Amino acid sequence: MKTAKQLGLALCPKCHKLNNLMTEPQQCSRCQGMFYQRKHNSLQYTLAWNFAALLAFIPANFYPIMIVYQLGIGRDATILSGISEFISHGLYPIAIIIFTASIIVPLLKIMGLFVLVYKVHTGIRLKPDKHSKFYHALESLGPWSMLDVFVVALMVAVVELGFVTSVAAGPAINYFTITVIFTMFAANSFDPRLLWDKKAE
Amino acid sequence: MNNKINTSLFVACRQCDALYDKLQLKQGQLAKCNRCGGILIERKVDFIERSFNWSLAGLILMLPAILLPIMGVTLAGQYNQASLFDCILVLIDRGFFMIACLVFLFAIAVPIVRLVGVFYISYCFKFNKLKPSLLSFFRAYHHLDNWAMLNVFMLAIVVSMYKLIDDTELSVNLGLLAFIFWLICSTMSSVVLDQNYIWEKLDQAFAKDEA
Repeated sequence: MKTAKQLGLALCPKCHKLNNLMTEPQQCSRCQGMFYQRKHNSLQYTLAWNFAALLAFIPANFYPIMIVYQLGIGRDATILSGISEFISHGLYPIAIIIFTASIIVPLLKIMGLFVLVYKVHTGIRLKPDKHSKFYHALESLGPWSMLDVFVVALMVAVVELGFVTSVAAGPAINYFTITVIFTMFAANSFDPRLLWDKKAE
Repeated sequence: MNNKINTSLFVACRQCDALYDKLQLKQGQLAKCNRCGGILIERKVDFIERSFNWSLAGLILMLPAILLPIMGVTLAGQYNQASLFDCILVLIDRGFFMIACLVFLFAIAVPIVRLVGVFYISYCFKFNKLKPSLLSFFRAYHHLDNWAMLNVFMLAIVVSMYKLIDDTELSVNLGLLAFIFWLICSTMSSVVLDQNYIWEKLDQAFAKDEA
């Protein structure tokens, strides 16, 4: 199996046109965009975004994400306490959806990308076919973590009944969105072709 | 590297970089990579008409989906309802600028820009008005690939309905219907778009020759 890299070719990431690689970065002959043969410094960028996301994930879980005011009395809710409230109401499917979207998916993404970066770097027990599928699953799951942010945004807007009930967003929401966006950046800066390159070496 | 290869004869897999001879596909066929199973080329059926119509429908539904109230609550005799647009106004009003920005970007701005982009491109192809600026336009369009989150917002609407239905009287408004149709239209318009075909046509028309 020949790869484009072996023949000195490079694929434009935007328009998927093959170019003869003359310089790095190369200008695409079709869309005029500049690009590298592999994403530039892919592993370093992935690691950096990943650490930043992991850091932001800590305050995201400790600060309240939503504050519900009823007759002037505020009640804090963190991500986890919101989920336990669903469970105590017996709404298991919703509890599972939120738990998956706001705890499992970000953690799985961060851990998964760490593992992928480690595997690419060391080449230990590297199975490119499985790992690249895993990477694409991680990438497509990313946006779903924004679920909790949108829920809070909707609650703030809809439950706006003055003194009787109102909802405010807590500080955790900012940290949480930062986590989600950074993991998306991390996934975008990882290049699955490195898995195959490392295996071929 | 001096021996230049005629790159138009080959196609490389986006996900694993394997190199193949380029095939001529008929409409509706797709070619997959042997090694990783990624899609190499996909020729979509009748995409100009389809993406034109879907994106036109999406643009028409855009205003009702954003401006009509999605849902309302009644509690202790008071009633409040909110549309997507109200949602942002309330968030700004109460000082939550960051989520206001994010909701605006991911649930309003990016989907609209993508719809307008698809509409403009399919319009240019439909009426044969290709111009060189389309190259950079379509390249810019790809920057937004990952950032439309209407589907996530839809799930958020469902979840917040479950949250509210216990304690309050919940009413669903026409905006929800419009929003669902808008979601369908914007998803479909980007799904039916044949990116390979567009790039190849633009390539034949305008690209500088590789010597």
